[in-house]
Amino acid sequence: MKSLKRYLLVLVFVACWLPCEAKHMAVVVNKANGTGNVTAADLVKILQVNTKKWPDGKNITVVLRDPSSPEIQDALQRLYKMSSMELNAFLQSHKGTFLVVDTDEALLKVVESNPGAVGLVDVYSITSRINVVKVDGKLPLEQGYVLH
Amino acid sequence: MRTRVGLSIIAFLFLCYMLVVSARAQDDVASVSTITTADPAANGSARVVPVTTKSAEARDLYIHAMVKLENLHGEEAMQDLRKAVALDPDFALANVIISFPTIDPIVDPAEQVSAREKANAAKSKVSRGEQLIIDWITNTTEGHMVPAIQAMNEVLDEYSNDKHLAWLAGVWMENQQQWKRAIPIFERAIKLDSDFAAPLNEVAYCYARYRMYDKAFDAMQRYIGLLPNEANPQDSYAEILRMGGKFEDALIHYHASLKIDPGFVESQLGIADTYALMGDESRARTEYAIAIQHARSKSQAANWTMNAAVSYLREKNFSGADAAFRAAARQAHQDDLALPEAEAYRMMATYQVDSNTAMQLLKKAEAVLDEKHPLGAAARQQELALVLRERASRAARDGKISLTSTTLQRLQQMADASQDQNIHLAYEGAAGALFVAQGKYEEAIHHLEEDDHNPVSVRLMVTAYQNMGAKDLAEQSAKMLATWNEPTLEQALVVPEFRTREAASATSSFKRM
Repeated sequence: MKSLKRYLLVLVFVACWLPCEAKHMAVVVNKANGTGNVTAADLVKILQVNTKKWPDGKNITVVLRDPSSPEIQDALQRLYKMSSMELNAFLQSHKGTFLVVDTDEALLKVVESNPGAVGLVDVYSITSRINVVKVDGKLPLEQGYVLH
Repeated sequence: MRTRVGLSIIAFLFLCYMLVVSARAQDDVASVSTITTADPAANGSARVVPVTTKSAEARDLYIHAMVKLENLHGEEAMQDLRKAVALDPDFALANVIISFPTIDPIVDPAEQVSAREKANAAKSKVSRGEQLIIDWITNTTEGHMVPAIQAMNEVLDEYSNDKHLAWLAGVWMENQQQWKRAIPIFERAIKLDSDFAAPLNEVAYCYARYRMYDKAFDAMQRYIGLLPNEANPQDSYAEILRMGGKFEDALIHYHASLKIDPGFVESQLGIADTYALMGDESRARTEYAIAIQHARSKSQAANWTMNAAVSYLREKNFSGADAAFRAAARQAHQDDLALPEAEAYRMMATYQVDSNTAMQLLKKAEAVLDEKHPLGAAARQQELALVLRERASRAARDGKISLTSTTLQRLQQMADASQDQNIHLAYEGAAGALFVAQGKYEEAIHHLEEDDHNPVSVRLMVTAYQNMGAKDLAEQSAKMLATWNEPTLEQALVVPEFRTREAASATSSFKRM
């Protein structure tokens, strides 16, 4: 191939035109948190604030990007198995329960500095300053991962 | 053709990576005698990833390899890189580059594995930046995406002034189909050096993907301005123009590319593809014939022959298409090219009215893949996945749910055992087709969204949205399809119907005014 563009074309045209990028949300926790895996059911309990403490006794703080953003809505709908209306009603009734931040970077900073924090973040934002928790034994971008 | 995307993506990443470090190496030419072992980031000075080797000659070879790569002479560059690692077996970055899978059949997979192991073994001897790059790239090739991303973000953060690194990360994001994320990374590279041509080319494609054509054209014009005597910028600009439906302008720039470099045969293909999308299929075939005549390999010629065969489909000349695909399959068989032979049969199956004929063709495609031909395992699996996808989709459409489920199960097993994105997408597309056939539209959308680059899946999404009562989403997807300017089989199969609908809708709106 003489053209770098040739390769790029394959990429661009193959994934052509639709402004929709599949998002895989990573469940992130503080480095000191030893939780390596949760079941989807337990994650729902954590994110719905039904489970309030980690196994080591630390209080759980749920950190989210703007819950009205499409990717968070999509992830929570799939996880909670709720319709859009049910989810919005749930979020309304739990206002103030979650720590809401503006950006992935801000979310990661909160999780980095708060030993009990757990958050949902776009997997492409993750750093090695946080731990990524498996859900039902799977990491983001693996086939069958629940949060995508 | 789109069937060997995975390999091409890997090859592209490979080339991009080499180009990145090549450019860095060129920047470092002035200090070639200095063998970098210290990490500039350690004392917070230059935030640029160093290139560590104990051999000045190896470094020199590396630099030359990079220049060749920048000029897109990949095979020659590989030879230099091999010599470089022979002189310095601990040359980690060079080994990491060699370790990348490529579409070049002369690169032995065992050599790649060995090079990766050498890069990892030398990790303790190189700078932190290089270590992170090794982690990033090695984990990517091994399918460990979480640590790969973590390493990439770390190195980006720590070496924030490295424009080539930023470019590499942008390219990597593109390969992950994360165009939105790639844009700011490319922009960062351009901000670090406004004369840095490579990210301009790529960010233009990213913008074009989001139909931000003003930005895309602006970036392309800057790219051309920086490299006025090279063919590729003209060719890339032509592609972007074509994406935007500006076919006549695209032709002008393809011809400009060929004027600069008459041997730039991809531009000849671009001309043919553009005529095909414009609906001038006869002219397209004439232009394809010229491109095929100048193809650099039998494999390339075989692929382009199938583009020409697709042109008959655009004319709805199905017997012409059959004849062209059969001729392509025969030629591929004679040339011992299993992949295009199988592709030809699979492609024929997609437009057959009679399902028995279609299934026979798919059987034939699968049989070709099972014959003894020089064919890499990954390429074989990718094509097999597409054959299975087509079989499952056809069976679903015909209401043969049992056959669909069995085929889908086979496809899922392949997907579960593979990191290959193409196999995963084939599974998602087939699963979506099954759910649409069963009337389970929400489940269908869940799968089809994963395969939203494929017009066939998007057409199914339109059906699903319509049945779900999501009129706006259905219309949005239909409009998207109507302006889909990709010269592929799938485009030829799906898009004309939506263009006709769109045109009819525009006419009726006009009449109402």
